[in-house]
Amino acid sequence: MKRALPAALLTLSLALAAGCDGSGGGDAGQANAATGPITIWLSNNQEELAWGKAMVESWNGRHADQKITAQEIPAGKSSEEVIGAAITAGNAPCLIWNTAPAAIPQFQKQGGLVALDSFEGGDQYITDRTGDTAEQYKSPDGKFYQLPWKSNPVMIFYNKDIFAKAGLDPEKPALSTYDEFLTAARKIKSSKAAQAAIYPAPSSEFFQSWFDFYPLFAAETDGTQLVKDNKAQFNTPQGQAVAGFWKTLYDEGLAPKEMYNGDSFADKKAAMAIVGPWAIKVYGDKVKWGAVPVPTSTGKPAEQIRTFSDAKNVAMYSACQNRATAWEVMKFATSQEQDGKLLDATGQMPLRKDLQTAYPDYFAGNAAYKQFADQAARTVEVPNVPNSVAVWQTFRDAYSQSVIFGKQPVADAFSGAATKVDQLASGS
Amino acid sequence: MRRWPNVVRYVLLFLGALIFLFPFYYMLVGSLQSAPDTSVGGAFPTSGLTLDNYRDINSRVDLLGSLVNSGIFTGGVLLGTVVFGTLAGYALARLQFRGRGVLFALVLLVQVIPFQLLLIPLYVLIVRGYGLADNYLGMILPFAINTAAVFVFRQFFLQLPDDLFAAARLDGAGELRILWSVALPLVRPALLTAVLLTFIGPWNEFLWPFLVTKDADMQPLAVSLANYISNVSSRAANPFGAILAGACVLAAPAVALFIAFQRQFTSSDLGSGVKG
Amino acid sequence: MTAAPAGGAQRNRVAAVLGRHPVGMILAAPYAVYLAVIFAYPFGFSVWMSFHDYFFAAPGAIVDHPFVGLDNYRAALTDPAVRQAFKNIVIFLVINVPLTTALALVLAVALNRVVHARTFLRVAFYVPYVTASVAVVGVWLFLFNSGGLVNSVLGPLAPDPSWLVNEGLAMPVIAFFVTWKQLGFFILLYLAALQNVPKELYESASVDGANGWNKFWSVTVPAVRPATALVVILALITGANLFTEPYLLTGGGGPNGASASPVLIMYQRGIQQGEPDFAAALGVILVIGVLILAYLNRRFIEGRD
Repeated sequence: MKRALPAALLTLSLALAAGCDGSGGGDAGQANAATGPITIWLSNNQEELAWGKAMVESWNGRHADQKITAQEIPAGKSSEEVIGAAITAGNAPCLIWNTAPAAIPQFQKQGGLVALDSFEGGDQYITDRTGDTAEQYKSPDGKFYQLPWKSNPVMIFYNKDIFAKAGLDPEKPALSTYDEFLTAARKIKSSKAAQAAIYPAPSSEFFQSWFDFYPLFAAETDGTQLVKDNKAQFNTPQGQAVAGFWKTLYDEGLAPKEMYNGDSFADKKAAMAIVGPWAIKVYGDKVKWGAVPVPTSTGKPAEQIRTFSDAKNVAMYSACQNRATAWEVMKFATSQEQDGKLLDATGQMPLRKDLQTAYPDYFAGNAAYKQFADQAARTVEVPNVPNSVAVWQTFRDAYSQSVIFGKQPVADAFSGAATKVDQLASGS
Repeated sequence: MRRWPNVVRYVLLFLGALIFLFPFYYMLVGSLQSAPDTSVGGAFPTSGLTLDNYRDINSRVDLLGSLVNSGIFTGGVLLGTVVFGTLAGYALARLQFRGRGVLFALVLLVQVIPFQLLLIPLYVLIVRGYGLADNYLGMILPFAINTAAVFVFRQFFLQLPDDLFAAARLDGAGELRILWSVALPLVRPALLTAVLLTFIGPWNEFLWPFLVTKDADMQPLAVSLANYISNVSSRAANPFGAILAGACVLAAPAVALFIAFQRQFTSSDLGSGVKG
Repeated sequence: MTAAPAGGAQRNRVAAVLGRHPVGMILAAPYAVYLAVIFAYPFGFSVWMSFHDYFFAAPGAIVDHPFVGLDNYRAALTDPAVRQAFKNIVIFLVINVPLTTALALVLAVALNRVVHARTFLRVAFYVPYVTASVAVVGVWLFLFNSGGLVNSVLGPLAPDPSWLVNEGLAMPVIAFFVTWKQLGFFILLYLAALQNVPKELYESASVDGANGWNKFWSVTVPAVRPATALVVILALITGANLFTEPYLLTGGGGPNGASASPVLIMYQRGIQQGEPDFAAALGVILVIGVLILAYLNRRFIEGRD
């Protein structure tokens, strides 16, 4: 009886598997011209949701025959699994308003995305709106599978009270070179003004490097992505300089190796944090903060510093039937007017080339955001390469091993990771 | 002589109970704090307690609606497991029929397979194959008959003495009748254990119901709270407190249910049953 | 059992084909159908996937999925992260399973005889089991981080690096955590089993002059042996499927993968990194491993084959 089991199981499941395959996805050309009601997914964070609902309402008011239905998906870790599953099952919505650039290569490989170039003037619309930065969002086949929507360029936030307590200048702290940064960090620690100088998450999730290594790497290399021309770029003198800087912070206990449950900056456990403009609203009244660009080894002037963009984009999914409507909605929701409303509601930076001149009133009234808007002009995205997530996980593991926990020399860990990343990024 | 171990037993049990209760206590305290305090002293606050975290949840989550959805989801699973699970458990333990070995091997196999392995194919099957997106049935199906509970039922039916069944069969009782009036009353504590086990799965499950339902009106409490947690985690006045408050809200009905049920957890006095 | 009733020739023939109680097929049928309808396809599909170069594609996308034989298995078995994960899970099981079984039995026996404060005590032990991991994990971080309660109590004896960032200690801490979190359920299982131990057994043991300890070993332990088999196997299975704790408690299997579990790797590779074929092979290996352990358990603890 036991021998019969595997055979029976296999036959049954293969029969079912065969029965469930197939079912085509409709003609693309036809779908591109079709109009009608569509479904979109919005990120469920409060401010974005408010903007999204208002946008949908204003669209629906004008297009009775092409109504949008909006649903929420979580902004956090699980959003990519949800989208991946929906692509596979063929019930993804038309548009998702928080598609992570790092997930694009995989969704594209799954056949889940619609190239926006297939719409008339699609390519033009994106480059006109975003400018040169748009280039980073092109896929290896030269097409746009995402519309660059908004960025959260990251900077160093510091707590003025803690800095004053540590005897550092709270108004114009010297943090532009690695040496200056380390000196400040040591002072914070030795004066016991705060438990940690800076507290990036030391955990192993693939995306954590976006908020420690990558912004500094972008600044140090004047905007090189982690992978360029299918070659890893981090195993270089610059990459190692950045790693060395973080390693010093970890070795000297200036940055803790343990996870913190909560927000170390808000809880005043850390004197500094690497954050995007969303932080202004979050920390607004709780912490007296200042913001400076991320440091570089030589202390480049602020107007040269590049940083990680932490962008979220809009993508159109291939399950969409009424793609003409979806494309119009995409343009409608990224118009100057809607972008202005988004900026107003969330403080996140629309990926437009003329950001500061487009919304002079906003930046006049919200000086705090001006710094980030300025930084938004010089951002670096995650590389749009095959196996993007695997590339980042490989890098994170090597970084964790060598920089955070010091189990292996940085040079060895990075060169090993670089070999693997080269393979992954070339699509094997 | 007899007194002494008794006292020791109570002391040890209470000590253990405190260790087990501490996290719950901590959760409660944390959920009532206006600012997180992760130091040791923070676990024993003397001031600064507030209900703000709960108020915030109440204003953002439709608690009653989510609770009803949770009830439907969990209730469906419980119904399926108790009805069909006991039947299967009984058959597996007490009846000789063709295919029993295969079925039991499957019970083991299904339990052993990690859910993460099945997640996407299962989703495709339920949503595309059966068309059950945004449907309570789609939410319930993967959990409908809890295999671990079937296993528990089988094991407890197996433990009952053979004579009991032989006697009942000699009296001409049908199998359903034997199950209902002989076997089930004797394994009542096991039944309750399995119910509690079955209850917790769907009650705390968040990924699956979320995948299946995008319609916020259909989402159970665990999903609403997880959504709430994921989007307030960096924004609330006290994010950690908000998470803990969410966890308290989710745990409260489960604890209440247990308190209500544990009275039933008394001896079935098998000894006399066998003899009688 | 009893002799077949008169006129049993025909019955015997039926029995030879369908078994002695064909009605069992009817009783078990809903469950069998359920398994076929819900689990056969996803599992069969996962097994199929593990022998092919596969990734999930949108319906209608034209993708080639060539047969690759054992390539995925080879990749999984030679991956250092996978090896480490299996090593970790062995450490986990070695600590978790015996500890769970022993503690659950002892506590259940103690609780069973309790007269006062019964509800309170039972609820107390049950509470961690019902509490959502995301909250409980917060509590453990608070207890075990370097400035946490445990280290404050230990003072100079506190380990350095601290528990959850110490490669040698992260997995044991997780094993204790899971023991603690799941114990309530296993105590209930034992309590349920204890209700069925005939009181006469204890009485006759008392007559023979056995003390409490002797009775525990000579009456209780053998009497609840089927329950022990159940506890061991359920603990094994939940342990082998460990995922939430390394995902939340040690931030994705840290430090340095010292607390990564096979299911965590499956999740990272299969769902996050889009290599479900690799994940499926890893899953099949895990399933086979656990089935072997389950078989051994059946053989040695339940005492049958």
